[in-house]
Amino acid sequence: MKRFAGWPLAAPATLLVVVFLVLPVLATIWTTFTTPSGPFATYLSFFGSSFRRTVLLRTIQVSLVTTAIALVIGFLTAYVISRAPGWLKSTLIIAAVFPLLTGVVVRSFAWLIILGKNGILNTTLLNLGLIGEPLSMLYTQGAVIVAMVYLFVPLMILTLVGVLESIPDDLIQASSSLGATPRATFMQVTLPLAVPGLIVGAVLVFTGSFTSYATPQLLGGEQVMMMGTLMYQQAMVTFDWVAASTIAAVMVVITIAIVALMNAMARRLNPMTV
Amino acid sequence: MNKILVTTLAISATALMSAAPATAQGKTLTISWWGFNGEKLESIVLAPFREQCGCEIVFETGNNGERLNKLQIRNGAGVDVAYFSDSFSQQGIEAGLFQKIDPARIPNLDGIYDLAKDPQGGYGPAYTIGRVGIVYDETKVTPPITSWNDLWREDLAASLSLPGITTTAGPMVVMKAGDHAGVDAFADEDAAFAAIGELKPNVVKNYNTGSEMINLFSTGEVSVAVAQDFTLGQIQAAVPSVKWADLAEGSIATLNTVNIPTGAAEPDLAYEFINFILSKDIQQQLAEQGVDAPVNTAVDLTPEQAALWTYGADLIAGLQRIDYAKMNAAKGGWVDRWNEIFGM
Repeated sequence: MKRFAGWPLAAPATLLVVVFLVLPVLATIWTTFTTPSGPFATYLSFFGSSFRRTVLLRTIQVSLVTTAIALVIGFLTAYVISRAPGWLKSTLIIAAVFPLLTGVVVRSFAWLIILGKNGILNTTLLNLGLIGEPLSMLYTQGAVIVAMVYLFVPLMILTLVGVLESIPDDLIQASSSLGATPRATFMQVTLPLAVPGLIVGAVLVFTGSFTSYATPQLLGGEQVMMMGTLMYQQAMVTFDWVAASTIAAVMVVITIAIVALMNAMARRLNPMTV
Repeated sequence: MNKILVTTLAISATALMSAAPATAQGKTLTISWWGFNGEKLESIVLAPFREQCGCEIVFETGNNGERLNKLQIRNGAGVDVAYFSDSFSQQGIEAGLFQKIDPARIPNLDGIYDLAKDPQGGYGPAYTIGRVGIVYDETKVTPPITSWNDLWREDLAASLSLPGITTTAGPMVVMKAGDHAGVDAFADEDAAFAAIGELKPNVVKNYNTGSEMINLFSTGEVSVAVAQDFTLGQIQAAVPSVKWADLAEGSIATLNTVNIPTGAAEPDLAYEFINFILSKDIQQQLAEQGVDAPVNTAVDLTPEQAALWTYGADLIAGLQRIDYAKMNAAKGGWVDRWNEIFGM
């Protein structure tokens, strides 16, 4: 009986989530199974197109690379911040989250200015004599990844700082006093205890990258089309809402699968995680 | 307590009374348009029209596809006047989103070019005539561009921007690729898209909005683009050395139409507004300020002002026309094939 004690209290919030978040997604996916051509026709059409398969694989690849880079940068930065004294810690956290104060479009546009042929990076390299003519860096997969890492690293840092701060110094000292090398301490104490934060951060970054629209559109365009831009094109330009819903359904399934995979990896690294 | 209640009621009543005239006389006209040149349109068109009609004006902005899609979702409701390029308004007509126009309610129709009076069989008139052609930076492109076939030149590698296939001008690139391959793109899509494939090494990025293309020029990413002439003034403001190419085959005509959706809440205001924007005075100002080419035959421009525009009977007569019904029928398949070339 006690197990159900909290349900009445949780019911309003659960109802809101179901009505406003779950049902619309289910309704969207439902339309893909009710076409005149048959329940799986839209999916056969999607996976039968080499172009759409390419876009899907590219989106997964870009999102995974972005997540991996954000994990490394975010972890190192968060580690430094978590070990910094009070005033410096506050300053570093403010610096890390400062980009979040502007919109996604503004932050993506900044990379147009940095990576453009007349941009800061090319101008610097030309002035240093390192290149003879401007490099074409925009509208490439690399440009999209760089901008997305910049977008999502603050989220990773924020997620990890709290987790790393919560690891007691006593544990690190105990590990050292028992003869563990710094590397062994990191691999066997710090990293496993940071796994919950790493997973939450990775999920946030991966889902954000996987569903992004503005950054791939601004820095990649048609040449680096991703699932978000493809879905927009199908819905808003060719007016094919069923195809757009199919893309959405594929994105939902892939996201759930990747998140489940990350959780499985987390359990291997730290059996105490959820 | 009673005093507070009375005071509150009095304030509320005053507020309601002051609001009442606004809702009674102040009708609201909802315009769907791009949002491009917003400040100039505000001063030339909107402010004087507000004064004339005593109404409020609200907008729905976005590109052609987005706005047409919204209109379709709402079954033609929510907007009183819709601005579209003719390829998209043709789609709207075919989808039953626009009502037929009563020419008697738009007296200024008499003063505009015949081409603009009724371009789509009884629906909205065109308020401006444009061209799709090629713009290039003459300091970076030598020899000058004189033909659509020049787009395939090897010296233009990684310096070209094409309009995306989903824009007004995008499908025209496919048609020109067909011409380049010596075929009709509608009859032989394979050859046309093979020519598009040959064009790919020259393309830096395909753009979806005029402002995006202007950015590509101003940041030095491209030196050539297939463009509509309404963007020329702004491109030249950013990069003065950009010019409109004088093409041997001629440019392609585009008309921007104004239509009244089937679910318009204020059709009378819509007619008044359409008549207003076709007047000689407004058309003259829009042309002088670099906003839109005039369709009113009484507009008189200096050679400098006219240089930006599709202006004058001779120039208009030399433009190529597009069969949009045919193009729209082919567009769905073209989008996929285009994506397979540029998105792989």
